[in-house]
Amino acid sequence: MDYVIQQALNALSFGAEYALIALGLAIVFSIMGLVNFAHGEVIAFGGYSMVMISTVLTGNPWFLMIGVLVATVLASLTLERVAFRTIRGADLTTGLLTAFGVSIILQNLFLLLGSPRPIPATQFIFLDQTLTIGAIRISSLQIYEAITTVVAIGLLLTFLRKTTLGMAMRAAALDFEMVRLCGVRANRVIAGAFAISGLLAGLAAIFIMARRGSVDPHMGFNPVLTAFVACVIGGFGSLPGAVLGGFLLGITEVAVLVLLPQEYGGLAQAVVFTLVALVLIWRPDGILSPAQEKGDKV
Amino acid sequence: MKFRLNAGQRQGLLGSAMLSLLILLIVGAYSLWGETYQARILYATFVNILVVVGLQVFTGNSNLTGFSHAAFMGIAAYAAAISVTPVAMKAIALPDAPWGLNAFELSPIVSALIAFGITGVLGLLTGLIMARLTGVGVTIVSIAILVIVHSIFLHRTDIFKGNQAFFGIPKIFDLSWITALVILAIFLARLFRESSFGLQLRACADDEVGARAMGIDIYRTRLIGWIISTLFFATAGIAYAFFLGTISARPFYFNYVFLTIAMLILGGLRSVTGAVFGTLLITIGLEVVRWLETGPTLVGVKLPEMLGLSGLLLGVVIVGVMAFLPKGIMGNREIEELFRRKPKA
Repeated sequence: MDYVIQQALNALSFGAEYALIALGLAIVFSIMGLVNFAHGEVIAFGGYSMVMISTVLTGNPWFLMIGVLVATVLASLTLERVAFRTIRGADLTTGLLTAFGVSIILQNLFLLLGSPRPIPATQFIFLDQTLTIGAIRISSLQIYEAITTVVAIGLLLTFLRKTTLGMAMRAAALDFEMVRLCGVRANRVIAGAFAISGLLAGLAAIFIMARRGSVDPHMGFNPVLTAFVACVIGGFGSLPGAVLGGFLLGITEVAVLVLLPQEYGGLAQAVVFTLVALVLIWRPDGILSPAQEKGDKV
Repeated sequence: MKFRLNAGQRQGLLGSAMLSLLILLIVGAYSLWGETYQARILYATFVNILVVVGLQVFTGNSNLTGFSHAAFMGIAAYAAAISVTPVAMKAIALPDAPWGLNAFELSPIVSALIAFGITGVLGLLTGLIMARLTGVGVTIVSIAILVIVHSIFLHRTDIFKGNQAFFGIPKIFDLSWITALVILAIFLARLFRESSFGLQLRACADDEVGARAMGIDIYRTRLIGWIISTLFFATAGIAYAFFLGTISARPFYFNYVFLTIAMLILGGLRSVTGAVFGTLLITIGLEVVRWLETGPTLVGVKLPEMLGLSGLLLGVVIVGVMAFLPKGIMGNREIEELFRRKPKA
């Protein structure tokens, strides 16, 4: 029984992290139809900004956290302004390739200006302590992560429902042209989406840094690949779908690790991606999105 | 029934002949003035042309971006390598291989055919899925295929050696072989583009609903395009393994996918000429940048070592082309159309 609870907690904390990153992808996608693969590099930038701030200004972890969040929001806004504004309204594939291009550029900039080897940054390690409750051992980081994800989702929902910009963003997800006709500035809505996405990336960066204690140029790529899968499973552009997909993925990954014999551990990623392919064949638009009539928009 | 080529196909033959001439000129220039180390670069470029032309067959004509070509190339490379490597060599390279994989050796031709067959069958199986999907679904599932194949390569170290090198593959191909293959590939890709299947595939890309209304079986057309393009990747994989002598899982992953996609979109998705030009341009650009990366001395100034510059260039090419030149250099045009007088407006 303890073992089951232990693994369930693990699944939840994996899921929380994926959900956090997947939300960042989904909020941008829902509004401008862009699969933002450069999200991972925004996370990595959060890690690098931590190194920079701690050497130049202060090593106080609380200030650092604020610094990381500010840095990732600014990075996300800059990317929107510099790279993604020119391709606004282009088709999905163009957006996807551009995002991959931006992600390659940033990775190589980190390589060029930073270092190909991991740079240690251990200020957030203190978040990760092992707690023993009865027979269950959990990391405090897992609890923080789960709480943060829930709070972030709650705040995001409040923002989307109660504020004008939030409502404009929800409306834009349905019909962007109509929102513009109602007199809402397109740039402001999209910048808002990127700012939120950057903030979520910053939160993810803090947790990833607390776990790894070092930053390297490619650290964002794999988490975003997994979060992307979460979005696909949940239905791209659907915010509840992203969260659901994130948790489903966390559960699947833990289940694969637990159920398969030890030596197959390396195949967890293969199983997860097979699942994605199957979901897409079953429902090409994801679990939580209604199947669309083809030809509707022709 | 008389076998006759239509105007587009005759033009295609002309265009392919011109591209082949370009390839032969490059090989000729190499044999006159080239240095030995450049043979390797030239060979790699030609393997890339095979892959990018293969990408053009499916991605270019159907406008559905696939990312799984590196996986198919890897499968073919490993299949050919495992079949052709002598038993004595495999005893060292793959001591723990299951199913007697290290207890047989085949002639190069049989090995190549086996690799071709395995990749073709996998192409058919994945194609059955691919042809049902549309738009970004194709990209996502092809990423899934890439990741699945890569994690199997890494996981079964007893067969594939993972990130370590699988060595001892006899060197079977040389530059003349790959030149012949590239020329053949250019002709086949161009003829496919001008064939009724190619035309239908392009029609589906332009207007899916309209194409269906005209009676085109979208599913069958996409399936055929997908399988043919996997066969191009298989050829590239076999050529890769038969020249280098060692292979590992590392090159068959995202970096290579991005490299080849950048080549294709720079040249222009929709034309075979674009695929060839894009590959040549990026290869030349990367060679210059790699030389800069090592920190050479320019006009008496020692430049610093700059790792990551080549990757940076690749990303800039992708973003730049997407933002400012979405149709690529060639757009919808082929090489022979560059030489034709423009009709007066």
